[in-house]
Amino acid sequence: MPSWTLTRRRFLLAGGAALSSSMARTGVARAQGRRGEIIAGLSERMLTLDPANHYSISATSVLRHVYDPLLDVTNDDRLVPALAESWRPLNNTTWRFTLRKGASFHDGSPFTADSVVFTLKRVRDNSKLIKSFVYQDIDEVQKDGDYAVTVTTKRPFGSLPAHLTMLGMLPPSAGAGEEAFFQKPVGTGPFRFVSWTHGDRVELAANARYWKPGVPRVEKLTVRFIPELSTRAAALRAGEIHVIDRVWPDMVQTLKATPGVKVLDTPALEAQRWHFQLARETVKDPRVRKAVSLAINRDVIIKDLLLGYARPVVSPIPPGLIGHTNLGQKPYDPEKARQLLKEAGQSNLTLDFVLMKDLYPKQLEIAQAVAAMLGEIGVKVNIRNLEIATAREQRTAGNYDLFYSGWAHMPHDPDWYFGQWFTKAGAEKLTRFSDPRVEQLIAEGRVPDPRVRQQKYAEIERILWDEEPEIWPYYSVAIYAISDKLSNFEARRDYYVLLHEVGIA
Amino acid sequence: MRSYLLRRLGQAVLTLAGVSLLVFVILRVIPGDPAKMLLPEGAPQSAVDALNRELGLREPIWVQYGIFLRSVARGDFGQSFQYGAPALRVVVERAPATIQLALAAMVLTVLVGMSIGVLAAVRRGTGYDYAGTVLTVIGQSLPNFWLGIMLILLFGVTRRWLPTSGFQGWSYLILPSLTLAAFPTALVARLTRSSLLEILGQEYIRTGRAKGLGERAVIWRHALRNAMIPLLTVLGLQIGTLLGGAVITESIFAWPGMGKLVVDAIFFRDFPVVQTVLIISATIFVVINLLIDLLYTVLDPRIRYG
Amino acid sequence: MSRLRTYPMAAVGGLILGAVVLASAGAPLLAPADPIKPSFGKRLQPPRVFGGASPYLLGTDNLGRDILARLLYGGRVSLALATSAVMLAGAVGVAAGLAAGVLGGRVDDAIMRVADVQLAFPVIMLAIAIVAVVGTSRAALVSVLALSGWVLYARTVRASVLTIRQLDYVEAARTLGASDLRVVLLHILPNTLAPVLVIGSSQFATMVLLESGLSFLGLGVQPPQPSWGAMLAEGRDYLSNAWWLATVPGIAISLVVLGADLLDPRLRQ
Repeated sequence: MPSWTLTRRRFLLAGGAALSSSMARTGVARAQGRRGEIIAGLSERMLTLDPANHYSISATSVLRHVYDPLLDVTNDDRLVPALAESWRPLNNTTWRFTLRKGASFHDGSPFTADSVVFTLKRVRDNSKLIKSFVYQDIDEVQKDGDYAVTVTTKRPFGSLPAHLTMLGMLPPSAGAGEEAFFQKPVGTGPFRFVSWTHGDRVELAANARYWKPGVPRVEKLTVRFIPELSTRAAALRAGEIHVIDRVWPDMVQTLKATPGVKVLDTPALEAQRWHFQLARETVKDPRVRKAVSLAINRDVIIKDLLLGYARPVVSPIPPGLIGHTNLGQKPYDPEKARQLLKEAGQSNLTLDFVLMKDLYPKQLEIAQAVAAMLGEIGVKVNIRNLEIATAREQRTAGNYDLFYSGWAHMPHDPDWYFGQWFTKAGAEKLTRFSDPRVEQLIAEGRVPDPRVRQQKYAEIERILWDEEPEIWPYYSVAIYAISDKLSNFEARRDYYVLLHEVGIA
Repeated sequence: MRSYLLRRLGQAVLTLAGVSLLVFVILRVIPGDPAKMLLPEGAPQSAVDALNRELGLREPIWVQYGIFLRSVARGDFGQSFQYGAPALRVVVERAPATIQLALAAMVLTVLVGMSIGVLAAVRRGTGYDYAGTVLTVIGQSLPNFWLGIMLILLFGVTRRWLPTSGFQGWSYLILPSLTLAAFPTALVARLTRSSLLEILGQEYIRTGRAKGLGERAVIWRHALRNAMIPLLTVLGLQIGTLLGGAVITESIFAWPGMGKLVVDAIFFRDFPVVQTVLIISATIFVVINLLIDLLYTVLDPRIRYG
Repeated sequence: MSRLRTYPMAAVGGLILGAVVLASAGAPLLAPADPIKPSFGKRLQPPRVFGGASPYLLGTDNLGRDILARLLYGGRVSLALATSAVMLAGAVGVAAGLAAGVLGGRVDDAIMRVADVQLAFPVIMLAIAIVAVVGTSRAALVSVLALSGWVLYARTVRASVLTIRQLDYVEAARTLGASDLRVVLLHILPNTLAPVLVIGSSQFATMVLLESGLSFLGLGVQPPQPSWGAMLAEGRDYLSNAWWLATVPGIAISLVVLGADLLDPRLRQ
């Protein structure tokens, strides 16, 4: 059984961290070189300071600065130590974590196994927490001395480490009065919480005693929430903020042309997915679905509408994630599409294409393009651009033929995607998908062994590629724009904006 | 007068009760599930049901309303579903930004709008009048967002004279209040002009002129006073709109105001916040409309109610 | 007719409005291209005047569709919807205002308190509620739009009535035995109309925008059908790099507002 242990390099780093944190304690290491303030402009407002109470990419991004999780995930999809120095599965249902020594919370209390036990039990037991349902498979959490924890699960939970990258560790003292704690929360992270104005901004200050040397590199971090893209871009161009996320392809030219601004992009861990309502008479027949897929010119969408800021899909799971495999691109063949429709006896088809308002960039534009393409093969498309709450109700009720959606893999693990959308129980009120072979493979893919998981997931994808319960038009590309005063900014594939190792001139 | 005030007070209470009941029922009857909005797209139905139960949404409506009324009596408007913080606090946090923007826009509307209107009326048929028409037409047909984004690009990006967004000081008020005031200013200008022109032509003014009063005095004292009545009506409604309906301007300028708060809360199905904002809104409208009705009697003592 | 000659401005206003209405009505004949079919290679072409590709007088939009064609077809929808909404709001509002002002007392209180209750509700919420009850027909849309506007007329007319009804000549008409309804229609109503017309023409633009703002509820036209409001909304994301998308429908709206503006109070002198 493979293990994720510290490499020698990381061991030296950890040792170095211990050394420098002791130096900080003696007040010597003012020469940490922290200076300046970074102001970020994010598109999605944060709704909570509790790492266990949200599934928002934006909140994960911001809260990562205040709380450390047990592990982090790098931009090339490797799991690396954070508050856990090492971790390994003891068997299919047991994980053991060895914890970092010398880390402490912003209030001075030390980070120990008690914190891990508290955090995990809390998220499992408090069903009001948004992340709770993910951790229901945890059976026991036991500390083994102050710096090791064993977690046993009810059934194999191979994606546990990935999920843990999104769960910040809380001090056990938070249990004494949660409401008060979250007014002024403390974590072990590179920044201390200063203030949060709902829907407007979050202010953070550097944690001088952070366990990683040289981090953070600035004294102050302010995150502003600016949902309107033009305004976000304007603020960056005017020099008022230093980094923005969720830039649209059409904005790139204007930004590139602004002196002092750099545009960075990277293929994202997100596949757009338009899913069919598989119980509906119209699209039940796989030939109809195949016809729809053949009629969509993905190339036009990627090149003309997204200006090249998208990648062609070769598998439902984007590259970089476990399970990605190359199944070849889907062809564009309207002739064949028309043929298939005739074969299936559906030459006068009308499809309801439901969108969730304002969720994905250019979705209305793309949907209209698709409607035109399907019109070419004789399919009439009714675009129904609904507010999110109503759209989701319609989906539960099954009132749609095609539903515009996407899946950004957070955490970096496809288990959730498969478990939710391709098991009978999960998909019942969503896509009505049901395939016992897939169901079996998903269960088998839950084991910790990555080789087994890769094999099972590849198998699932071959089946899905053939059945086409969904259309995967493109992988998204994440576009960021930053001030050229920033150094060491990494354009992340998971849409997180992480600034603890970023400096400002 | 006293009995009239008492009557209005009683009606105010009824209005607020009516609004609270109506919003309560509407929110729970329309499609859309708060638990679904909080949980991610891929959450199982069991989690959704559990959360709905936690939020108290599985009780019968009258039970929920009873609980709601009892808490409101204690000053507790519930916990915002989105933020997990007391709904009243979440709403009141937005008050300073909202009020300041509304005031700034009001001041602009009254000063600029009335000036244009008066000028156009006094110099009727001349270049000033036509210029006024052009300005008011533009002000009324320009979409809010167009003006806002253009102002940001011009004065925030191309020329860095003003901040582009947010609210960190009085200079941040300038662009948003200009954007917000454009439409009402144009409306006020046209109304002022048309009311003035109408009244200037009326009998008693001519009598006034015949008494030898200077034309200026005639205009300012009689006509303006009576032109104020329709103006006041419009302005009263405008204040309410500015306070709760400036959602587009607030979005463009990332302005932490109540307009965007309530619209976001409606889309998110954050019942406590929507309820709280609407009750506050209703209170504001009731108070404003009462004040205006009273002001009518001051402006024109012949006006009587009942 | 003689009035129009004396007041050339009103004639100009009438001409402008007439031109806009006729052009929209004649969309199938006048539109140079299909307003709905996308043309992916021709996205965001600037208007011909600013150096765009030659068939596109007003440029193309984000899907390569001819903006002039969309403007003409969109006009049919927006003119019809916005005008009916304004007229409905006006009719209901004026009637309510008259009743409140003339009848006074309990009626006045009742109508005004209903207005107060409704004012507290953001339009979006009223729209969602109405759609949940009556669905997404054109009638539902016009009702929602009218609902968002009637109070302004009601309160304005009521204020005018309160001023007027005490006037001598009104008293005189009453004493002479004219029935109440006659008094209202012949003496009170005409004097309340000036602000009503101003409000009406100014609300047109608001209604156009509101119509597109409600389309996500299934009300009004759905994409890819054009309407001026929809064109404005689509243009919002392209203001920095393709300003004509939002500006062209904006100018169309201003023409209508201008036309209505010029028509109104001058006729009454």
